[in-house]
Amino acid sequence: MFVVHLVALAKAIGVHRNTIRNWVKSGRLPCRPGPGKGLVFTPEDLAHLCQEFHLDPEALAPREVGGGREAQPRLVPRQAAPATREDNMTGNVVGAVMVVGGGIAGIQAALDLADSGYYVHLVEAKAGIGGKMAQLDKTYPTNDCAM
Amino acid sequence: MNIELHTLSQVAEIHGGPGNFTVTLRKNPRYVDPDKCIACGLCAEKCPKKVADDYNLGVGKRKAIYIYYSQTVPLKYAIDPDACLYFAKGKCKACEKFCPTGAINFEDQGETVTLKVGALILAPGYRPFDPGVLAPYGYGRVPDVVTGLEYERLLSAGGPFQGHLIRPSDHQEPRRVAWIQCVGSRSQDGRGNPYCSTVCCMYAVKQALVTADHLPGAETTIFYMDLRAHNKEFERYYVNAQAKGVRFVRARPHSLLPGPKNRGVQVEYVGEDGRPRREDFDLAVLSVGLEAPDSAQELARTAALDLNQFRFVATNGFNPVATSRPGIYVCGAAESPKSIPRAVMDASAAAGEAARSLVAARGTLTREKTYPPERDVSADEPRIGVFICSCGINIAGVIDVKGLAEYARTLPHVAFVENNLFTCSTDTQDLIAAKIRELNLNRIVIAACTPRTHEALFQDTLREAGLNPYLVEMANIRNQGSWVHQHNPAYATLKARDQVRMAVAKAALDYPLTREAVPVVQQALVVGGGVAGLTAALELAEQGYAVTLLEKTDKLGGNAWHLNRTWKGEEVRPFLTTLIAQVENHPKIQVLKQAELTSVSGSVGNFRSEVSVAGESRSLSFGVAVLALGGQEYKPEEYLYGRHPRVLTALELDALLREKPADLKAAGPVVFIQCVGSREPGRMYCSRTCCTHSVENAIRLKELDPDKPVYILYRDLRTYGLRETLATKARELGVIFIPYTLENKPQVREADGRLQVTVTDPILGLPVQLAPDYLVLASGIRPHDPGGLVELFKLSVNEDGFFNEAHPKLRPVDSTVDGVFLAGLCHHPKPLEEAVSQAKAAATRAGIILARSAMELDAIKSEVTSHCDGCGLCVDVCPYLALKLEDYQGEDGRRHRRVASDKALCKGCGLCEATCPKEGITVHGFTLPQLEAQVEAVLEAL
Amino acid sequence: MEETFEPVVLGFLCNWCAYAGADLAGVSRLQYPPNLRVIRVNCSGMVHPELVVKALSRGVDGVLVMG
Repeated sequence: MFVVHLVALAKAIGVHRNTIRNWVKSGRLPCRPGPGKGLVFTPEDLAHLCQEFHLDPEALAPREVGGGREAQPRLVPRQAAPATREDNMTGNVVGAVMVVGGGIAGIQAALDLADSGYYVHLVEAKAGIGGKMAQLDKTYPTNDCAM
Repeated sequence: MNIELHTLSQVAEIHGGPGNFTVTLRKNPRYVDPDKCIACGLCAEKCPKKVADDYNLGVGKRKAIYIYYSQTVPLKYAIDPDACLYFAKGKCKACEKFCPTGAINFEDQGETVTLKVGALILAPGYRPFDPGVLAPYGYGRVPDVVTGLEYERLLSAGGPFQGHLIRPSDHQEPRRVAWIQCVGSRSQDGRGNPYCSTVCCMYAVKQALVTADHLPGAETTIFYMDLRAHNKEFERYYVNAQAKGVRFVRARPHSLLPGPKNRGVQVEYVGEDGRPRREDFDLAVLSVGLEAPDSAQELARTAALDLNQFRFVATNGFNPVATSRPGIYVCGAAESPKSIPRAVMDASAAAGEAARSLVAARGTLTREKTYPPERDVSADEPRIGVFICSCGINIAGVIDVKGLAEYARTLPHVAFVENNLFTCSTDTQDLIAAKIRELNLNRIVIAACTPRTHEALFQDTLREAGLNPYLVEMANIRNQGSWVHQHNPAYATLKARDQVRMAVAKAALDYPLTREAVPVVQQALVVGGGVAGLTAALELAEQGYAVTLLEKTDKLGGNAWHLNRTWKGEEVRPFLTTLIAQVENHPKIQVLKQAELTSVSGSVGNFRSEVSVAGESRSLSFGVAVLALGGQEYKPEEYLYGRHPRVLTALELDALLREKPADLKAAGPVVFIQCVGSREPGRMYCSRTCCTHSVENAIRLKELDPDKPVYILYRDLRTYGLRETLATKARELGVIFIPYTLENKPQVREADGRLQVTVTDPILGLPVQLAPDYLVLASGIRPHDPGGLVELFKLSVNEDGFFNEAHPKLRPVDSTVDGVFLAGLCHHPKPLEEAVSQAKAAATRAGIILARSAMELDAIKSEVTSHCDGCGLCVDVCPYLALKLEDYQGEDGRRHRRVASDKALCKGCGLCEATCPKEGITVHGFTLPQLEAQVEAVLEAL
Repeated sequence: MEETFEPVVLGFLCNWCAYAGADLAGVSRLQYPPNLRVIRVNCSGMVHPELVVKALSRGVDGVLVMG
């Protein structure tokens, strides 16, 4: 088992320490609260965590406690990312995607998805789509009309 | 038809998880039935209430019943309940009275709907910074101070002044216009945002150039801190603007005051020499930055996403479209300020991420329409049905439609004529189909609005009635008739007769066309084994397609092996080793090292190639290709590089930081020189990554030894977007930034084995001597020589050797050849996160082609006729290289030559048709006889 | 119709730009003289010179090729 300091982890991931606390509470982080601001991980969980966030295990300065075998968590390259992703999936997979925002980015995403075989719900707060780009006169560097 | 648009809607709740979300949508009432509204505009004409037009940012007015703007989708009116008199006072209802289709519904309550989706993509965009909070800029008080976005509306031909450029105070043309950069961006005082908004420098340069187009001789001045022209072709654009007389002043004005009589603007600033100055302008444009809108924050709260310190959606440097919540992705300016091509790239990348997470359900909810078998009419005499639309009163109010119908009956081949209130309405569609069957009509003419918006609808009607869709013609008697000749009904009617006669003449010569289909080889080729190539290969494989990855060397990973961290501080190596392992172990990916393409034939959907793998030749078939050839660090020839051991490139410093940090810690001063081999004649582009790279390394050096003097000699510091925070941090740590100019570059000498750097300090105006222990050259990125690839694929490169994209804004990952996509440094220098995003986007775009078993081509294509004698004139003019000469054996047994047209490459432009002296080649749908028939029809009336 | 000179101008308009512009003029209700007869083409490059010559020699007063 390894103990990682809450503040060190928050800093390494780049989020507020309260976010880390929330994640621990919600079970998003596979660990349990330890002494002080320590978080207790199994070596495997810590290695996965490092991979997920691309963290340098050394930077976290994990303290080994109990009967840990390795001083450093070993990085195990994952085989295929979606395998783990599908594990997290809840219920049946729905072949539709919602795109929120009907500007140039949302429109492009919607078109690409529809062309790839997914039903798209495109949600726009205004009465018509087009977003900010539709308000532009010309675009650089070709001075094409933005419309 | 597989995109359902929910306008005036907000996401209220999101439940569930990846693969299966339940989203509650609150749909606000439109008060206009979109199925009935035909966007004729009568309602808005009659509506008595005018309000500020938010599309024109309040510069113009609109009515309480409005369309957002004239090209929006859906083109349906909506009532603004906050402005409408009926909602305020309980009476008016003018729109209801005048609406010809009865579309107005004041009882509309809106609705709440619940939808099931597998993933969400958030693209809520940005809002322009409100400069009202920065009192010294005078926005809102000085009439001739406007924001950049407002200025766009002033310039626009579709804007409130039809593109006639005037200033707000007195509606006079401005002669002197100033732009103030970094308004609300790069701000340290807490009232603006600390980050750089990325796009404002370039939009100001563009506006200055467009202003000169509108008002020749106008004087344009841009007040800037660092001119950030860091994207593709931007540097040349900037240099061109300087050459065209746009004046660039390096200063941040502190006050904007009203001119005499509250007209014009006085700009006060401190010049580069430290002296205060004041200048008069007719108009000042505040180049306001981009920030996260409140709606995006609400959305993030609803979706329970993490935001970063600037309230943009938090992402990591290895996957810039994944949020903190699995199954929810982000793209566009909600992630960070970004330009249009990056927003489009990220959008395609996010679409790909969402798609591959739902691969199991692909195609389960999409629909395809089915049609009855087509009736063969090719041998029948034309029996033309003419349907004349009144469009409510849009057409009938000007043109005598009854008289027009009578006239149409007299035209040759016309078997049936009818006038409809709305020819496009669903019931009329049914009626047209019924008449086609009942009267055996075999050509249709619709006299109504424009084919550009409605031809597809009527083609569909024909298909449903068992006719080939290319047997319909439209006479545009609304957009190019009644609407533009409102005050001349007699002539408008006369013109409409001509238009109908022309359409009937063409329709009589219409013949059925078929769309050819090319089978798609469900296999992808990726060229280049760096991060971009690896990412593209992995994405395509995860979508379920077989991928062949070619790497020139014997090692995957490319330039990323030389990088230590992303700008956000994430370690690159663990990411890279994981990525390589995923690619090498993926059952759908075949990696070929020491491999090079030697030949390419075929076109989109069906390419064939020879590949040399470690000297052995193999053949490959593939439907799409992603080119990710990468780039390389420029090895400088200047500044004693290669002649003094302590002169390093940026990557060499990275290696030293990785391997011998103690040496650097112990060393004395370090000097960085920026723009080495970039932004110079012959290499007029910014390498985009070097400023951030130097700043990062300067921070590392200061962290190793806080007292070490570190200098960065730069021309314009281009730590764009959120990277600006690094520059701020470097300054706080005591890194000294000294600007230099292209004309006055730093001098580097060696004296007694030590380095001496001389640079002119702009404020003192005097040379400063530095004696660094290490000199680091921020050398630019060069494209690899693409070798024969350009020729093989018939691609194009720009003058710097980077591949050209199909459209710089809207198709940033599509190459100029269909089916070939671009990613990474071979397109333009870019940091890791953007290369990843572009690679994912390229994979998405490529996957769209592979998602089909066959590609249906447009039927409007060139066709070689029996008149062709192989003279080859057309081959030279074809812009798409779709024509080539071929030999064949004639009936006389002898060899002949003729032209052959490749349907997959042809775009139907018809240059060949206009060039051919003997009708040896023609374009379906626009044949010479069809065009001639229309000319004849015009001549008939003379 | 009164006997004033009303020229007939034949226009070949590219579907993707000039024709779209003519449509937009309609949406914007910009008024112009009704003397133009428009033939929509897929590209202004497909207009065969013979068509222009024919129209002019047979009495059309002007030809516009826009794209």
